[in-house]
Amino acid sequence: MINFEEELKQFKPSLEVERIEDAIADSDLTDMADIMMNLVKEGSESKKRNE
Amino acid sequence: MSKFTDYTEKCRRISNFFYNTGLEKARRRDLTGACQCLKRSLQFDKYNTDARNLLGLIYYEIGETAEALVQWVISSNLQQDHNRATYYLHEVQGKPGRLEDESVHIRRYNQALMQAQNDNPDLAILQLQRVVDHKPNYIKAHMLLALLYLEKADYAKAGKSLYQVLQIDKNHPKASWYMSVVKKNTGRADIERRRLKNAFSHHQMEDDDIILPPSYKENTGWQMVLHIIAGLAIGAAAIFFLVMPSREAQLHEEHNQELNRVLEQVNQKSMEIDRIEAQAAAAAGERDDAADRLQGMIRENEGILAQYQTLVRILQAYKNEDFPAAVDWYTGLDASLIEDEAMSGVIAGIQADMEERGWQVLADAGKQAEAAGDHTLALTHFQNSLKIRGDNPQVMLDMALVYKAMEDEEKANEIFGQIILNYPDTEQAAQARTERGY
Repeated sequence: MINFEEELKQFKPSLEVERIEDAIADSDLTDMADIMMNLVKEGSESKKRNE
Repeated sequence: MSKFTDYTEKCRRISNFFYNTGLEKARRRDLTGACQCLKRSLQFDKYNTDARNLLGLIYYEIGETAEALVQWVISSNLQQDHNRATYYLHEVQGKPGRLEDESVHIRRYNQALMQAQNDNPDLAILQLQRVVDHKPNYIKAHMLLALLYLEKADYAKAGKSLYQVLQIDKNHPKASWYMSVVKKNTGRADIERRRLKNAFSHHQMEDDDIILPPSYKENTGWQMVLHIIAGLAIGAAAIFFLVMPSREAQLHEEHNQELNRVLEQVNQKSMEIDRIEAQAAAAAGERDDAADRLQGMIRENEGILAQYQTLVRILQAYKNEDFPAAVDWYTGLDASLIEDEAMSGVIAGIQADMEERGWQVLADAGKQAEAAGDHTLALTHFQNSLKIRGDNPQVMLDMALVYKAMEDEEKANEIFGQIILNYPDTEQAAQARTERGY
């Protein structure tokens, strides 16, 4: 059975056209390559610190 | 560093795998599934332009225009050359007023959502109805509208909205769930279940079973009667339109030939009649000519015979010494008709005697008639006297005086003129001048 209140809560407002620039600016474009690069960078920095 | 490159290459491959999966789902109109795959693809490789462009296209298809623009703008920034996103942006932003309309509908949906979440579902429904009328592919609006209808137990309207959602996104999970609720409450689920059961039910055919084609229909008695009547009507029409014209033409041809034969016979008869009539006319003419000739001959013979009779009477008068009677008969004699040479001498002797004495007898008789007042008889005697002897001015003068006595001045003057002209030195000419008044 549908729980109307619960279902209604799950509806989110649509992105309005006027807020496209904000949305682009807020976009998280991090991909797996970026994460890998960060991991590699952090690994090399910690290695330097230990040395 | 080479290890990092390996990771990057692996990420790109995984991204491509998710892109391919998303593309396949998009082609099957599983837009929700496609959207998930494409998002996952971009998580592995944000530079996967095709995946981002397709994600934007799916957002646009489900009515999320702003989300689509975000993806296309990012895509065109990450890859500025040879990017399909540029075309998409141009298509959406290039047409004046289009983006503004999209903005209005999206804002109206957000207002409706707020109204619905603030216990104002009726107003929300009105707003959402206007939105989906103008933007029928707006899935979020349809879904919220369907939920509101479901809450109001208006399953038909809810089903209509959900049907449109499932037309756009076939595997939309929440729409499928809502639709199952609608079907359950409208009895549609049982119908579909029975139909599914019938579709997959089988029974063993026996030897006596007959498969009838769908087009076969059992005829009732009335249908058979109607078919017979229709057949008769078609047959009659075929005879009327196909057979009758040729038969009619044949009869006309025969009739014309018969008519021509009869006309030819009539012409021949007419020509024959004309020929006979011409022959009859010619014969009649010949007959009339013959009759005229015969009549002429009769008259001629009668004339000759009469002249002989007159001649006999003259001779009889001479024999009786009755000279006045001989003169009287002589005036009626036409000696030219008597061609007998034996009589010519007798006739010549009579003519000589008449010229010598006969004219005087007639002149005297004329004077006696004039004296008796009989002008006509006097003229007759004078004319006969002049026939025997024309060269006689005294008789001419006597005759002119008779005309004058009869008040025929013209005739009298004519004769007076002849006397004056032909006998100018005679006593009769002088008297004639006196009568004319010269």
